[in-house]
Amino acid sequence: MGRPVVHRSPMPGLGLSMGITFTMLSIVVLLPIGALLLQGVSYGAEGIWATVNRERVWKALYLSFRLSFYAAVFNLIFGVILAWVLARYRFPGHRILDAAVDLPFALPTAVAGIALTALYAPNGFFGASWTHTIAPALNAGLAWPEAALNVLVTGLGFEPWSLQVPPRIAYSTMGIFIALVFVGLPFVARTVQPVIHEIDREVEEASATLGASRLHTLRRVVWPMLLPAALTGFALSLARAVGEYGSVIFIAGNKPLVTEIAPLLIVIQLEEFSYDGAAAIGIAMLVISFAMLLVINLIQVWSRRRIGYV
Amino acid sequence: MKIEIDEISKAFGTTAALTPVSLSIPSGALVALLGPSGSGKTTLLRILGGLEFPTSGRVLFDGQDATGLTVQQRRAGFVFQSYALFRHMTVFENIAYGLRARPRAVRPPKAEITRRVTKLLELIQLPEIGARYPSQLSGGQRQRVALARALAIEPRMLLLDEPFGALDAKVRKELRQGLRDIHDETGLTTVFVTHDQEEAMELADLVVVMSGSQTGGRIEQIGKPADIRARPASDFVRSFIAA
Amino acid sequence: MSDLSHATPARRFRAPTEEAPLARWLLIGFVTLALAVLVFAPLIAIFVEALSKGWEAAWKSLFSREALPAIKLTLTVAAIAVPLNAAFGIAAAWFITKFDFRGKAFLITLIDLPFSVSPVVAGLCIVLLFGANTAIGAWLVAHGFPIVFALPGIVLATVFVTFPFVARELIPVMIEQGRAEEEAALTLGASGWRTFLTVTLPNIRWALLYGVLLSNARAMGEFGAVAVVSGRRESATTMPLKIEMFYNEYQGATAFAMAGLLAFLALLTLLLKTWLENRHAGELSANRRGH
Repeated sequence: MGRPVVHRSPMPGLGLSMGITFTMLSIVVLLPIGALLLQGVSYGAEGIWATVNRERVWKALYLSFRLSFYAAVFNLIFGVILAWVLARYRFPGHRILDAAVDLPFALPTAVAGIALTALYAPNGFFGASWTHTIAPALNAGLAWPEAALNVLVTGLGFEPWSLQVPPRIAYSTMGIFIALVFVGLPFVARTVQPVIHEIDREVEEASATLGASRLHTLRRVVWPMLLPAALTGFALSLARAVGEYGSVIFIAGNKPLVTEIAPLLIVIQLEEFSYDGAAAIGIAMLVISFAMLLVINLIQVWSRRRIGYV
Repeated sequence: MKIEIDEISKAFGTTAALTPVSLSIPSGALVALLGPSGSGKTTLLRILGGLEFPTSGRVLFDGQDATGLTVQQRRAGFVFQSYALFRHMTVFENIAYGLRARPRAVRPPKAEITRRVTKLLELIQLPEIGARYPSQLSGGQRQRVALARALAIEPRMLLLDEPFGALDAKVRKELRQGLRDIHDETGLTTVFVTHDQEEAMELADLVVVMSGSQTGGRIEQIGKPADIRARPASDFVRSFIAA
Repeated sequence: MSDLSHATPARRFRAPTEEAPLARWLLIGFVTLALAVLVFAPLIAIFVEALSKGWEAAWKSLFSREALPAIKLTLTVAAIAVPLNAAFGIAAAWFITKFDFRGKAFLITLIDLPFSVSPVVAGLCIVLLFGANTAIGAWLVAHGFPIVFALPGIVLATVFVTFPFVARELIPVMIEQGRAEEEAALTLGASGWRTFLTVTLPNIRWALLYGVLLSNARAMGEFGAVAVVSGRRESATTMPLKIEMFYNEYQGATAFAMAGLLAFLALLTLLLKTWLENRHAGELSANRRGH
């Protein structure tokens, strides 16, 4: 290893910039995360497992990841369409829509949380029509297919399934889903949009000259080019949703085992001064977040190797 | 196939790109559209391929009005200046693309597609590269793959936009001969755009010299290379071919 | 030009890189409707609720004895955290783009780390490091400098969650601009500081402003990390935390009045951001351009 750690350079300010970088990185990020991991080590794997392996914790983790996944899938599909419309079409109101996509980034999560709750509570603007009109109508419509399905399901020896929608959006998993969609909305759109701008129009033209219909071109030529960015945005949106707290706790209702998300459990543990318990759940979430970070990086490496850019 | 261009003009908004031009290209000819940038030569080529629509005038293929045909219906093998290869597909997939894009009823069976792609790879003298991605090819190889991809759809004509523009001098010379050979072998009516008079004169049967002006690009002279050299029709042609 | 009317095509020509007009308008309609429901409706709801008892009531509730300290604290936190972040961002971007060293990619990953950590976990980490039950925390409390449940902890949590914002905006811009201009200034005899202030800073000022803008928006609005670190102490309550308190105490109108103030700030941020993207696109990182 003959290579020096830092190459000699005529640029000034090496000591100062390096000093500030590492000092702040250590105090703000590395030491606190180290403290969490240390707490985990002193608590021990068994202790962590004992904390995590309880129905309430499992249910909360499962709820957080399941709904985050659904929200990220929704944002993946919607975000790609959104990016396409914003990048390719010009229409009245284009700029307002383009700016509005970033609102979930700019709006404090607590503000978003109470706003969504106000809208989707049973007496709210959307919530009322859901509770009084849409949900009953949907449930009436679903009654027959549900009965038909359950003839099959019980015939195979399973418990009957329910296709009924909940009567309320706020204070149910649907409310959590909507809040997670809101906070994750910009990620896919904003990672995909620059890629659409970069697409060489000649590539789409080439596809057309070879006889492909527009739909074929979009599916076979355009979509594969957007896929790596879309997946990156999906992973970012998923990571954000899993860790989200502020916008969810207002609309969730926070009923243990039903609408209690994992970050809330950490807060509850801390309020009970159970630092070990909080650390255990925190470590579980940290590990999962790092795994997702790794996946993001792997996607980028894969796409760079495959098509020479990200 | 015989191509006729009848009083074609093109304006982009208020900017004129082509003044009405007319041109008749005999079946099986190898034609160069030669001119400086801004002479409308690429616009004319794109109108032939169906990528642009003329502001006025008609395009006729074998005497039939083709102006309203979509780009897909024209079946023109088009080679782009940037080659526009699909970078997420292998060379094989790139060449097979046009065949696989056909509606099920007229799509060749899998074995037939493989056979044709293999044949085209041999035609461009790169039989070994089917599994590679475009990013793993040299400039000259990419150009030949783009040509093979255009030929795969059994085009009615071949249209090439600055096909050698992005290559260094040595490769350019080699590929010129390659294009000549493929033209002679397939007998396709071929139109290519270039700003290099030497390339046009050496390669084409018929050279169309174009110039740009405020009112849009126009045709200065149409003729065999030797005739243009011997009898330039205008000062513009004289100075342009001397360059 | 010649008379074009005789040659008007029977069918409108559609460029091969465009979708059919019907598909296009359906997509535009769908996106507009979806954003109306998902984004505009909550925004309108905030202002409707905030003004449900009139302008005056909303205005008064913001200047109440309960609300004012929270506004002050939020401004104080942002006033400390954002400059800290900007200083870090500049230093890190300088170190990363002006020098070649081993492990650069890893360093960038570490700087990005806070983006993938839940804010609640971030707050937890700070409590575990500086809480009164830890050695460091106990020592600091004994010397009259408590961190957790006090201003320093909130600042620390805020810096954590906004950590990468400025650096992320600066690094791509400084990579694009290269080192040639700084090298030129140095050969002309300028000192290091002078080179930075007269050559580098003017080149990165808009990207810096962009990063500061995003960083500030997040700093004023952070909830999860700050909630954990403040421990719900009245003296350590920022605006977002106060919104939760009002809301849970059934003072909905007051909660929404404060939410309206923060939403107004968010709109202002978006406006400035859009202005930067349009006017100074060339001096922002590539992903921020091309709207």
